[in-house]
Amino acid sequence: MLPKLEYSSPKTLEELFEVLEKYQEKAKILAGGTDLLVSLRDRVEKARHLVDIKKIKELDRLEYRKGEGLIIGATVTLRRILESQLIREKYPVLWEAVKTIGDVILKNRATLVGNICNASPAADSAPALLVLEANVRIVSKEGSREVPIDKFFTGVKKTILRSGEVVKEVVVPEPPSNSFGRYLKMMRVWSEDLAIVGVAGLGYREGRELRVRLAYSSVAPTPLRIREAEEAFTRDGTMEERIERAVQVASQRVSPISDVRGSAEYRLNLVKVLTRRLLKQMVEVV
Amino acid sequence: MKYVGKPIQRIDAYEKVTGFAEYAGDLELPGMLYAKLLLSPYAHARIRSIDISNALKIQGVVTIATGEDFPFRVGLYVNDRYILARKKVRWIGEPVAAVVAEDLETAEEAVELIRVEYDPLPPVLDVRDALKHDAPLVHEELGEYAHSPAFNPIPGTNIANRFVVKKGNIEDGFRKSDVIVENEFFMPQVSHVPMEPHVCIGQYLKDGSIKLWTSAQSPFAIRYILGYSLGIPLHKISVYVPYVGGGFGGKAGINFEPLVALLSKKAGYRPVKLELTREEQFMTAPVRQGFYGKIKTGVTRDGRIMAKKIFYAFDAGAYADYGVNIGRAAGYSCTGPYYVPNLEGESLTVYTNHPWGTAFRGFGHFEFLWAIERQMEIVAAEIGMDPVEFRLKNALLPGLTTATGEKLREDAGRVDQCIRAVAEKIGWGTPPVKISSSKVRAKGIAALWKAPAMPPNAASAAIIKLNEDGTILLSVGVTEIGQGTVTALAQIVAEELSVPVEKIKVVPFRHTDLTPYSWQTVASRNLFMEGRAVIRAARDAKEQILDIASQVLRTPKDDLVIEDEKVYVKGRPEWSIYLKDLAAGYVYPDGNTIGGPIIGRGYYVGSRLTYLDPETGQGYPALKWTFGAQAVEIELDEETGEVKILKIVSAFDVGKAVNPLLVEGQIIGGGVQSLSLGMWEEYRYDENGKMLNPNLTDYKIARAGDIPEEYEIVVIENPQKDGPYGARGVAELAMLSVPPAVANAIFHATGININNLPLTFENIWRALNKGE
Repeated sequence: MLPKLEYSSPKTLEELFEVLEKYQEKAKILAGGTDLLVSLRDRVEKARHLVDIKKIKELDRLEYRKGEGLIIGATVTLRRILESQLIREKYPVLWEAVKTIGDVILKNRATLVGNICNASPAADSAPALLVLEANVRIVSKEGSREVPIDKFFTGVKKTILRSGEVVKEVVVPEPPSNSFGRYLKMMRVWSEDLAIVGVAGLGYREGRELRVRLAYSSVAPTPLRIREAEEAFTRDGTMEERIERAVQVASQRVSPISDVRGSAEYRLNLVKVLTRRLLKQMVEVV
Repeated sequence: MKYVGKPIQRIDAYEKVTGFAEYAGDLELPGMLYAKLLLSPYAHARIRSIDISNALKIQGVVTIATGEDFPFRVGLYVNDRYILARKKVRWIGEPVAAVVAEDLETAEEAVELIRVEYDPLPPVLDVRDALKHDAPLVHEELGEYAHSPAFNPIPGTNIANRFVVKKGNIEDGFRKSDVIVENEFFMPQVSHVPMEPHVCIGQYLKDGSIKLWTSAQSPFAIRYILGYSLGIPLHKISVYVPYVGGGFGGKAGINFEPLVALLSKKAGYRPVKLELTREEQFMTAPVRQGFYGKIKTGVTRDGRIMAKKIFYAFDAGAYADYGVNIGRAAGYSCTGPYYVPNLEGESLTVYTNHPWGTAFRGFGHFEFLWAIERQMEIVAAEIGMDPVEFRLKNALLPGLTTATGEKLREDAGRVDQCIRAVAEKIGWGTPPVKISSSKVRAKGIAALWKAPAMPPNAASAAIIKLNEDGTILLSVGVTEIGQGTVTALAQIVAEELSVPVEKIKVVPFRHTDLTPYSWQTVASRNLFMEGRAVIRAARDAKEQILDIASQVLRTPKDDLVIEDEKVYVKGRPEWSIYLKDLAAGYVYPDGNTIGGPIIGRGYYVGSRLTYLDPETGQGYPALKWTFGAQAVEIELDEETGEVKILKIVSAFDVGKAVNPLLVEGQIIGGGVQSLSLGMWEEYRYDENGKMLNPNLTDYKIARAGDIPEEYEIVVIENPQKDGPYGARGVAELAMLSVPPAVANAIFHATGININNLPLTFENIWRALNKGE
């Protein structure tokens, strides 16, 4: 059973900060709850006060501003993201990644910000946000700060968030023009699963040259962007050689573990296979 | 026929989809208490001491029980289980103590405060290790256990049952073979994963009687075992079973019912409820046994099987009270649907320190058919014969003898027709197709058979009552666990008594005080056996109706006919009387009354079934054999090991589809379960025998999105003359043999044989990359 919990639902950020200050580490933020409730039931999460942020209007933004980019508020559900035709067209890598998270019921509740705050190495939205070079807007009683997503994750289930801090929204900048993005994910079943390995790629042209960005889930303690692999495309060589170099570098930079979901060996193979497949598509499409 | 053979909606659909169908978990009784179990952290250990003093101090705790409180054993076929672990624990997850409290939170809190000291013993965690002569014994006192005479435990070993079958002359058979092929096969333990985990409520009354409300498949088996084990007369035990949210065999035996009954006694006669969480369902509820098989086949160059030596070892886990019958069933069916003139088969049920096994849909057949149907493919390849042709050449047809020497009856189902049907529909005979640098498409086929695994005296019964308005109540002991039998039975009543299905109610609960006896809801036996009992009950009611109608209409019985809820004089439809006017006695205009309430009764037991010879396994175990075949087309990604199932074709000789819609539902549901078990499902253990994936995040089962898009069904109807309208059972059959069809397709695509389940993408990738 769930432990006995206290619950509050502030209506403004100010009220939220007050509650967080009062309960400190005993408080935990509840948005979709799809990760949190499981951790509470399993007694992994010890929090005893849930702060429901769904009534805070300011956190509910899903907006696109030309030039500035896409703003995804803390309570925006995965379902709302999937329903956005604009996101599907302009940020296909993000849309594809979100589409692979959980089932329909879960998507109706789970939030994108929750997905990154949970900071699982397997977070599907994270590699997409990494290649899109998103920023995380963090607020607290003291003020606000904005952090690039690749500085946000610090370890398994760990982020840079300090006590009293809350992610208000994620800002995804305008992607390079005519870019192409994809998220390839290996699961254990055909329908829904956590990523055994996930690879997000963004390809675009700089002049006539193909440039790529690559980021991964489930291959390291945190979601991981591998710039050294991307650099293969700034060097000499045929396209095939560049792809193989990127595959090699990526497979050297990841550090997958063996667990009940898959062995390190298998994951390493998937990193190579999926990276190669993704890059070949980039070459063809971009 | 007006009702039988029609694809009508299941009669319980409305209640179930609207949520007002009653399940055991919905029940709350006045004064009810809640139980929580403390589970063993050791696979094998002696219990040195249990300290419950701190837990008892928690406010709201009513009582705490340990194994010493209940010093007697229970079990279905072998009495090998204590109510709570006593002296020893035998698997990680075995209940060691139970807290009973006013509410569940308190019980959970108190469980954490119980301190148990263990002396760990070396565990047995592999079925082959368990058979070694120096293996630690899981049950030192095996020789003391009471057991049914059909079983043969070997004291001083881990063998809970040894079943042997011998036919023909095996040396001679191998001598006449041109090619001999031997292989080993394996599959892990799995869970039934019913949507509704086990729930039961027990109340011990002060007069020594017991009331149970439980999510169980077989209320009469529970009543019998409980009465036998506790020495309580059966009329003092009442077992109530409402709708059950899926069983798949896991709820077929006796599980937590004795525990809640005895906890109630200890808690001052208040009702006690135990409801497992999903994690507990994985850890402490019974599972399907693991399996190891070794098959040696002798065959002539022209593809005739001459001899088979078969060895099956079932990893029964810590207890085998129900499990012994699985090894026995696999033993007498061990050849699969093929004629084998010379045979030596041995099927062992073996104790280990894994979770305890019980019945599982398909009962031993899912397991050994994996081995048999892979072996058929390998042997066919060895002699260069098409595997479909090889199967047809050796098909067990009417007139040939089974492993136990039973001559297959004339009106038996036809496996050859099933194999031909799936081969045609899948487009058998085309080579694998490479569709990209890493992807290949290929096809695979596997056949199957099964008979109900039941004792010769397994019985069924039915009661039909005619209500005063002409509606009908049908009461049967088969529980509704999703399989749809009750709908088919309602159709049979409708057909027999010419009353629309809407006017027939099948009583939606089972209560051993009121419901007619049924041995168990298992084995794909209930449409056949309850079906026959229902026909008899309907005809009994009909006789009673006609007796009265004959007087009222002043016409002999044989000149009367029942149609459209009336009794007519043949050829004189104007002379008739409504059934409702006969339901509780016919009243003449002046008040004179004749007859009385109409209550039809019927029973059924199999004819001429026998116990099997303990030395040779020869005899008549089978009420009916149902045959079938599965074919798949797969797409294999050789770089990732991912297999996609593009299409499944299933063919079954069901004799008669009493309800084609339900037959189709069973076949697709079973096929998907089969696929799920074959591709993903597996108890994963650490080196101490602890389950690593006791949740649905990491114990993967097929979901709606995993159902193959193309699913084709072929229903073959060669009627069995003593079946109800010719029907045979199909419920379990539907989930057999999909995994070997997939592995056979992988073999055709790559030349690689995979003989261990599950076929996870990683396992396939490993098999393809072995040696690289």
